[in-house]
Amino acid sequence: MVKIIVNGVQREVQAPDDTPLLYVLRNDLQLSGPQFGCGLAQCGACSVLVEGKEVRSCVTLVSTVANQEITTLEGLPARWAKLKGLSPDQAKDILHPVQQAWIAEQTPLCGFCQSGMMIVATELLESNPNPTVAQIKGAFTTSGPSPHLCRCGSYTAIIDAVKHAAVIMARGGK
Amino acid sequence: MAIANEAQLSVYRATLSRRQFVKSGGALVVGVAFVGPSLLKAQGFQAPKVTGAPFKNSLDPTQLSSWIEIHPDNTVLIRTGKSDFGQGSTFTAYRQIVADELSVSFEAITTVVAGHTDQTPDGSGAFDFLGRGTPNIRKAAAYTYQALLDLASERLKVPKDQLTAKDGVFSGGGKSIAYGDLVKDQQLKLTIPVSGDLTGIMGLTVEGNPPMKPVSAYTVIGKSHPNSIITSKVTAKETWATDIRLPGMLHGRMVHPKTLGSTLVSVGQLDKSKFPNSQVVVKGNLVGVVAPTEWEAIQASQQVASATKWTDWKGLPGNEKLYDSLRKEADWTTAPVMKSDANKGDVPAALASARKKFSATYHFPFMKHAPIGPTIAVADVKPDGAVHIHTHNQNPQALRGEIATMLGTTPDHVIVHTHPGAGHYGRSNGGNSGAEDDAVILSQAVGKPVRVQWMRAEDLQWSTQSPAAFADVEFALDEKGRIAGYQIDHYMPAFQDDRPIGAILAGLPTMPAPGGGGSGFTSSTANFLGDPWSYDLVPNVAERGHGTFQVGQKASPLAVGLRDHSMRTPGQYQQNYPRELAFSEAAALAGADPIQFRIDHAKEERLINVLKQVRDASGWSTRPSPSSGAKFVGSTPVRGRGVSAMFRSGTHWACVCEIAVTPSTGAIAVEKYTIAVDPGIVVNPAQLKRQVEGGAMMGISHALYEEAMFDESGITSRDWNTYPIAKMTDTPEIKVVLINNPKVGSYGGGSEAANALAAPAIAAALHDATGKVLRRLPLKRAYVQALLKS
Repeated sequence: MVKIIVNGVQREVQAPDDTPLLYVLRNDLQLSGPQFGCGLAQCGACSVLVEGKEVRSCVTLVSTVANQEITTLEGLPARWAKLKGLSPDQAKDILHPVQQAWIAEQTPLCGFCQSGMMIVATELLESNPNPTVAQIKGAFTTSGPSPHLCRCGSYTAIIDAVKHAAVIMARGGK
Repeated sequence: MAIANEAQLSVYRATLSRRQFVKSGGALVVGVAFVGPSLLKAQGFQAPKVTGAPFKNSLDPTQLSSWIEIHPDNTVLIRTGKSDFGQGSTFTAYRQIVADELSVSFEAITTVVAGHTDQTPDGSGAFDFLGRGTPNIRKAAAYTYQALLDLASERLKVPKDQLTAKDGVFSGGGKSIAYGDLVKDQQLKLTIPVSGDLTGIMGLTVEGNPPMKPVSAYTVIGKSHPNSIITSKVTAKETWATDIRLPGMLHGRMVHPKTLGSTLVSVGQLDKSKFPNSQVVVKGNLVGVVAPTEWEAIQASQQVASATKWTDWKGLPGNEKLYDSLRKEADWTTAPVMKSDANKGDVPAALASARKKFSATYHFPFMKHAPIGPTIAVADVKPDGAVHIHTHNQNPQALRGEIATMLGTTPDHVIVHTHPGAGHYGRSNGGNSGAEDDAVILSQAVGKPVRVQWMRAEDLQWSTQSPAAFADVEFALDEKGRIAGYQIDHYMPAFQDDRPIGAILAGLPTMPAPGGGGSGFTSSTANFLGDPWSYDLVPNVAERGHGTFQVGQKASPLAVGLRDHSMRTPGQYQQNYPRELAFSEAAALAGADPIQFRIDHAKEERLINVLKQVRDASGWSTRPSPSSGAKFVGSTPVRGRGVSAMFRSGTHWACVCEIAVTPSTGAIAVEKYTIAVDPGIVVNPAQLKRQVEGGAMMGISHALYEEAMFDESGITSRDWNTYPIAKMTDTPEIKVVLINNPKVGSYGGGSEAANALAAPAIAAALHDATGKVLRRLPLKRAYVQALLKS
């Protein structure tokens, strides 16, 4: 049995220690954000934050993240609420600025890779609140074990959304 | 139920029937009346009569079935067989089109039903959403409006021509009534005529000619209404196909053969000590493993695979010999030679007498559709023979027919639910995406619901691909530098193999392989001409299409080989690339600017306009290629630009690519990409812009990187390193020029074409920058480097 903290809640999972985190999140905890794209850490569809750092959950064994804080797409609103010190009531209906921007810019096409893309965007903006286009391209291409791949070609829309999210964050989330 | 009266009313070719004074509720529902006996003809299934028994598990053609429902609370529901694969049209354009035809607000259309074979009427695939201006849903809405108008006129006692409609309310003669009040406490059924084949690739088509709203009356079309499914995906509220879990469901993984022609020698023994809950299923050459958890299924299938023995097979030419083998060994004589409608004049005479002559061959590789997530399906084969399939499939009704054929049953036993998932770009538009038939076979074997997801390597190695092609071009210039004669011979293997691979491996019935006697254009080996000729002022033109069987199919004991499937801009891509690159070469030979050269050979005003718009928007300087600074040596990047154009689905396109190429490495960077698109009426500008950007980026990916690698036994591209696609750092500055052209009177398609425009434009830009032409895709480093050293 492994204890992990997912989106702020401690969970005990029965899956064997060598189970990749992705299958635990999807099947044991029934989260739909991270997706199976390649199982090889080559695409980023499965990305989650572990202690604020993007990891590929498809190659991360669940036992290696025991007792660590994991954030999936589902946990982005609460992550923002915590960062801004909002009360549970204030936090009820909010979305993370990254999600707001992804909707405002109508970014996803098929959307299968976009959970991973929003995870990278969150990681980037938490450390660099006003990235240049070159820094955005770098974050999505060279910061992890592989580039984050979008087969539909939404890269321009992602760049637009990251810039937009930076503006929303600078305004305090509105 | 008290029925005060029944009445029937003819609305163009539709029939409105009514029962008044139902106890509560009421609605106007739009159903279908089938014309002709062709429904389900492919599977030999008897068409239901309009007055006969309902077709089980389909929308009932006589009682309920629905395209559109008008509810007493003034809300509207629409149903479509076309499911969303990222185009967004069902949630934006379809609502906008229906809203304008019905004169209701966008927001009044509260429900869009799509993707379920038992809840949607028309079948067909997730392509050509705008139906060259008249998608089924538009006609259904037009009929509905006429029925509502009749009802309002009768109720208000005001002649129809004195009534106007706005926001779901008819007004005239000092009176008004809301649509909801017209339908309240009544059962109203509008039966509209349709024809076609529900489980065929094109599905059903709404017939008749109801009056349509004039373009000048549009108030919803033309606005950038947001796509509702984007919100549910971004907020993790969507149920994806990957999220479907049925009670008692097992996870399945396949053990695919060693090669595309291997047969099973012996199945590996499952290590029960490690995988106590797993089970191996074998049927013919199909091997699968099921387990209660996904991780056990993956590990157990890998263990079984390592111990399973297959025969060897070497029946493919391999990448290096592909084009040689295609030209010299393929059978190009069985399929009829296709000839273009644009053919005219005497090309041989023009070639013989002209001043400058040119001939060249252009090569187009196999490409993978390469969805970012592999194929996935959950199947539940019930003891009574009912089959439920949850999947992500571009043509669920066609899949239904294929599964029925495989099981030797009729489509009414099969229900398909398609849920959101990774884009397929045409791979499943003929009905199966890979995992569905596997899941059905495994579920039937173990008597439980089974979820099958392929691994990354399987999705690249066992799926279909976009067919390779080559084209021979000859043209001649006259003394004024104009094209005197042009001919092109296109060669391409069959482009659409819709046989489910699991059924083939299991030895179960499928439709025939392409060229094997099946009916319909997708069963043919003919190479149809799909790239409408754009240069009307060329006096002598000959375009021919030559088709053949799929590579390796006949040699494979499994009849598999390199199975092909249409991919975004199918066929036209393979034909437009050589044509447009050759046109840029013709301009260079004539010493002319390549955009002006195209304009000088065109008559169509919309084409000329997109060329001028893309020229202006890109800051193009008029001059011939290659550029005066062209260089093919050195480690300093040299720059060039190229152009391409296309007409597809009622839409004119032109693009300009500006590149930097480093001769010493062969690396090409696309720095700026400008594209002009005239679809006629722009339905949703923001959505169209995103579609075009995505298509442009996919095209850059195709042009720079993509080639399915294979050896003599099978596909060797197995992951994103061996099948690289574009990454964010490959993104140029993309400029999209949308040309709203209402006088065209209809709306064209925006999700295809853009992906095909980059390759000929980048190839022309390489010529502009270096003076050398690479007549082969992709324009990857090794090929460019070799060209520049030659």
